[in-house]
Amino acid sequence: MKFQIEEVTVYFPYDNIYPEQYTYMVELKRALDAKGHCLLEMPTGTGKTIALLSLITSYALAKTESPIKLIYCTRTVHEMEKTLAELKFLHNYQVKHLGAAAKMLAIGLSSRKNLCVNPKVSSAENRDSVDAACRKLTASWVRSMAAENPNQPTCEFYENYDRAAGGAVLPAGVYTLEDLRAFGKEKGWCPYFLARHMVQFANVVVYSYQYLLDPKVAGIISKEMQKESVVVFDEAHNIDNVCIEALSVSVRRQTLEGAIRNISRIENEIDRFKDIDAGRLRAEYNRLVEGLALRGDLSASDAWLANPALPDDILRQAVPGNIRRAEHFLHVLRRLVQYLKVKLDTDKVEKESPVSFVASINSDAGIDQKALKFCYDRLHSLLMTLEITDTDEFLHIQTICDFATLVGTYARGFSIIIEPFDERMPLIPDPVLQLCCHDASLAIKPVFDRFQSVVITSGTLSPIDLYPRLLNFHPVVSRSFKMSLTRDCICPMVLTRGSDQLPVSTKFDMRSDPGVVRNYGKLLVEMVSIVPDGIVCFFVSYSYMDGIINSWNESGILKDIMQHKLVFIETQDVVETTLALDNYRRACDCGRGAVFFSVARGKVAEGIDFDRHYGRLVIMFGVPFQYTESKILRARLEYLRDTFQIKEGDFLTFDALIDVMNIELTDRNLNQRQAAQCVGRVIRSKADYGMMIFADKRYSRHDKRSKLPGWILSHLRDANLNLSTDMALHIAREFLRKMAQPYEKTGSTTGRKTLLSQEDVEKLGNNGAQEMLY
Amino acid sequence: MSSGQVTKRVKYKTSVKDAGTPGRLSLVKERLLFRPNNPNSASKLDMQFKYITNHRYTKEGSNKAPMLNLTSNQACSLFAYGVSYIFEFERYEDLHICRDFVGRALAPPVEAPNLGASSQVPSEQPSRDDLLFRARLLQDSSELQKLHQQFVGGGVLTEAEFWATRKKLLEKDSNTKSKQRGGLKSSVLGESKPLIDGRTNRVTFNLTPEIVREIFSEKPAVHRAYLNFVPSKVTEKDFWTKYFRAEYLQRSKNIAAAIAEAAEDEELAIFLKPDDILANETRRKIRRVDPTLDMEADQGDDYSHLPDHGILRDGSKEVPEPGNELYRRTLLQDLNRHAAVVLQGTPIDEEQLKDTQTVAEALERSKQERSTASKDDDSMADQERLKGISQAMTIDDLRGSNDHHLAPLWIKDPRDYFDSQQASSFRTSMEATKGSMSSQEAYGLLRESISQIKSMGLNHPIVAPEVAQKVLSVLTHNISSTKYNLGKKPGESLLDSLPTSVRDELLHHHISIEELMKHFWSSYPITTKYLNTKVIKLKDEMSKMDSQLQKLKETVQPDIRHQITLLIRPMQQALEAAMQHYDAEQQKRASKAREKPNGYS
Repeated sequence: MKFQIEEVTVYFPYDNIYPEQYTYMVELKRALDAKGHCLLEMPTGTGKTIALLSLITSYALAKTESPIKLIYCTRTVHEMEKTLAELKFLHNYQVKHLGAAAKMLAIGLSSRKNLCVNPKVSSAENRDSVDAACRKLTASWVRSMAAENPNQPTCEFYENYDRAAGGAVLPAGVYTLEDLRAFGKEKGWCPYFLARHMVQFANVVVYSYQYLLDPKVAGIISKEMQKESVVVFDEAHNIDNVCIEALSVSVRRQTLEGAIRNISRIENEIDRFKDIDAGRLRAEYNRLVEGLALRGDLSASDAWLANPALPDDILRQAVPGNIRRAEHFLHVLRRLVQYLKVKLDTDKVEKESPVSFVASINSDAGIDQKALKFCYDRLHSLLMTLEITDTDEFLHIQTICDFATLVGTYARGFSIIIEPFDERMPLIPDPVLQLCCHDASLAIKPVFDRFQSVVITSGTLSPIDLYPRLLNFHPVVSRSFKMSLTRDCICPMVLTRGSDQLPVSTKFDMRSDPGVVRNYGKLLVEMVSIVPDGIVCFFVSYSYMDGIINSWNESGILKDIMQHKLVFIETQDVVETTLALDNYRRACDCGRGAVFFSVARGKVAEGIDFDRHYGRLVIMFGVPFQYTESKILRARLEYLRDTFQIKEGDFLTFDALIDVMNIELTDRNLNQRQAAQCVGRVIRSKADYGMMIFADKRYSRHDKRSKLPGWILSHLRDANLNLSTDMALHIAREFLRKMAQPYEKTGSTTGRKTLLSQEDVEKLGNNGAQEMLY
Repeated sequence: MSSGQVTKRVKYKTSVKDAGTPGRLSLVKERLLFRPNNPNSASKLDMQFKYITNHRYTKEGSNKAPMLNLTSNQACSLFAYGVSYIFEFERYEDLHICRDFVGRALAPPVEAPNLGASSQVPSEQPSRDDLLFRARLLQDSSELQKLHQQFVGGGVLTEAEFWATRKKLLEKDSNTKSKQRGGLKSSVLGESKPLIDGRTNRVTFNLTPEIVREIFSEKPAVHRAYLNFVPSKVTEKDFWTKYFRAEYLQRSKNIAAAIAEAAEDEELAIFLKPDDILANETRRKIRRVDPTLDMEADQGDDYSHLPDHGILRDGSKEVPEPGNELYRRTLLQDLNRHAAVVLQGTPIDEEQLKDTQTVAEALERSKQERSTASKDDDSMADQERLKGISQAMTIDDLRGSNDHHLAPLWIKDPRDYFDSQQASSFRTSMEATKGSMSSQEAYGLLRESISQIKSMGLNHPIVAPEVAQKVLSVLTHNISSTKYNLGKKPGESLLDSLPTSVRDELLHHHISIEELMKHFWSSYPITTKYLNTKVIKLKDEMSKMDSQLQKLKETVQPDIRHQITLLIRPMQQALEAAMQHYDAEQQKRASKAREKPNGYS
């Protein structure tokens, strides 16, 4: 359908639209008009992504005089693929209705690991080894060597791409990673470098958060984005965590041992160079004296992870004299590693600020702050000079230098915490020195400053006024939308008792009780026999899941489950889990039906949708818990309290604030990660339906339950608050029968429309959207 | 099979008492080949059929082993003139197939032309392949065999007629398409617990071919080890003993013991090591996984997961447990693997579940087939998958309703069909017989009878009202009770409540009547003499069938007679309709023939 929002003609690839989507677009358009940032919350299952994409692309089509670029950030690669699939659908529609004028270039960008088509390189195990294998074939010195020596292996895809030079362009279209690879294979060009080159010309770029937020990556890839861009962070409820993780480094024993090995290897290399090509080291020294950290312009294939500090905080100065010589620099590194080693050798938890830490390094190891700050640059220059390609071997020393640079650069917003062991497992010594960032606004600040509009959106952003404070920005629009449902298509239930009427819970004293294990098993056995297609089960932890599945197996419950559905399980191995998920979907598609066992805090819960027939029922076994005693979390809360006090002035008292923050933070974790993430992803559209069972007696308590998202709570009837297995079974049967009946999709029978046709939208456009919805 | 070649495992003997040489007998178009299993054996055989003068075989049901005896008149290099070759088969089915093949091969090359001699008679000479295929079809389905026996054997239908209505079955397509196989059971068989007798330390595992199939398809390394080692290196029993010992060690979670044992015994170590074939397969599969749930790609992308970057312990992440990676295989992995195999299905038929050796070989064969086939499928599957993803991305209820190409479900009442058939046939017969009576005359007759009743009244009831009442109530009760019981329980059908002998008879009657009806109605309009004789034959058979039904109805126990009647009625109606049609047609024809004595009949 095609409709007007003020002066912009919106091309929307469906015949109908939800009223939520329409108002969402109206708000978004206002934010774009104002060239400001905005914060929009809309529940899952309302087609947020397609609304966003179609408004922004239509906006770009309408404002041809100042073309805007869309930078769409997703949390994961698979979400990126989903977004690109929706964009493709939209693009086809727009091209059909507008012709060639609607043509655009949209690309997804990922690492070499996901884009490489050279079979020799892409077969490597992990990302770092793929990167290193690529460098071994494409680094500038390798290629110049190959020019003289034909036996030197190079990458034909990169060579072809390089030869084509300016001619190597992508034609307009929407490219998923698979499309990029296919295109690269067909043309014989390296898709990774091609995509990175095309980023500056593309109308839409889709990549993950880190490409914009993490200075190590953003410094290379997102350097040249124009200001007239709209940046979207989708599923952004965890954005503050991504921000602080981007600036945090942890040092463990293994890191230090690896770093010592790296240093001696570098030493050997230096000695070797001294013998064969002493001039090169001298040239590097001279360059550093002149104040250039790196020799001129690096070719794209030489680019490495960039400086871990944010661009504004990097000093544009010459490398200090005491680390200009390679040998001297190595001595400094040795002393630093030694110092950290001593620091790690502690038996109690220590917390320090960066300032005092730097001071003690200076007094104990004789390394001043400026030298620390330049560690990254100096190491980078040295490795380039030594022409090292197997970068995956040097990750440890890189970590140490990143740590040094960050410690040397930032005096505020960070702390250094040394823990001799994990508090949850006090018997296993595993000391960690953690440099943790507390201030999420640091990493995201350059993004807010650089781009004219930043859209932060998610299914759950409540409390919505907390985000501007956490990220320190001023949104021009901040709105939260409710979802209007045509029928009661979600059915949450709280199950407190098993089939024998005894309470069930994963509380510590009850979790290993055989009666509880059996009751949980019986619940699932009953449910698999009546619920069609897919069922998803979430457990509180891996170890709990492992235990309960083993005892179900021994008592024959698992066999009973398997009589009805196939069983797939999330394990700690990502590859296996991915295959299990793929098979789970196949089993649901072919009608055999399956159960997926997953962990509330695992990777699956974080980002995989169980919509439509992939999840007709979600069972949450127990209440997932947040470990609130973590030193790092505590330190962060403290920091936030301090900074809030400065910001909010005097009207909030200390204690109230820490309480508010405490509850909010832990709530958010329970809220979004567990409940909204686990059970909230069952709805894809208003035509979809699904049930959720919260199986723990503690959910019947108001304080636990109230942490569930509002849209679930609003469907939780009082009658469903305290059920036993047989009652839940009855309700499930009734619900499934009800959902199978035909219904009026537009919801016109209930008075308020939940689906708008072309006419409705036009009418709305004339009268203004507000009166209809509010 | 489609290439007209038959290969069977046989023992080749020179005399009946000879122990025989095991090997393979292949029959191709005009020659037979025997290849012994032992390539060094001298008893190879390659002979053309034209040299064979005679063939004999053992009858099924006799105590003797299935054997085929061929007598040759050829003086070939190895065998003397007039010598006989005896092949002992493993099963009678094999023997029958080869016998038929040889029989056809030996038959005089020019067969007598079909008797009908009319151009429209479906009498195309079936090729040898077709014959073979038909034989197999008959073998596969006992129902078909019975029908074939009844009609073709009884002379009602010719062979060609019988098969003409089954063209679909004979299509080459269905030939290559395998018949539907039962899926695998979802439950884990191999996980069945070992039996422990309380007194000794002995542990017993049960092993059936089905379990073997499961083990082999879930653990390709075990399969490979079996093919490599058994029986050349270890005996079958030792192999499985070792396998279960490894399983037992694994299950008891005694990793130290497992490592110690594996160090001593390299075969045992195979079972404990991670499966390399599986690992390769995983690597291949992960590339083709649905990109919208590919979490492995995340790992390759996410720069925050650089080692030692990010926050390690803020209480939100699970801490992985350390473990000995080499000998660690968890129940969870086994379950995932099992479900994946069940989903994929296994290409082994139930018949092949005989012993370990056959299972192992059949799996190996099917694996090879699949690997060649999958290469072609890959791109297709990818295409389809991508289409599926984009479809899954769309929001259903926002789309217009016009792209639903679904027709509403409409179930036609079968009784309606037969009633209307009957009515129409009545009409035609009415037209034929009483065609002369006009509507006015009929009206007159009706009026007459009404006035008769009016004047006389119905004052002479034929039966006493009390008796009538009683009979009626009993009948209605009976009918309503069955009516009430019928179709109440979904799992039960009327047929199941009948004794098996009666049920089988009923079903058979039904199928034969269906077959007859098919032939009967397809022969109209009768245009040739051939069709005419066919219809007469069919009619006779039909009346026979009708009387059989009647007999069945009378002989069954009175308590189920009502149900039987219900079931038989549609069949009888069908027969009646056909008969009436035949009679009407016959009369029409007769009257026409009278009018035009020289006309074409």
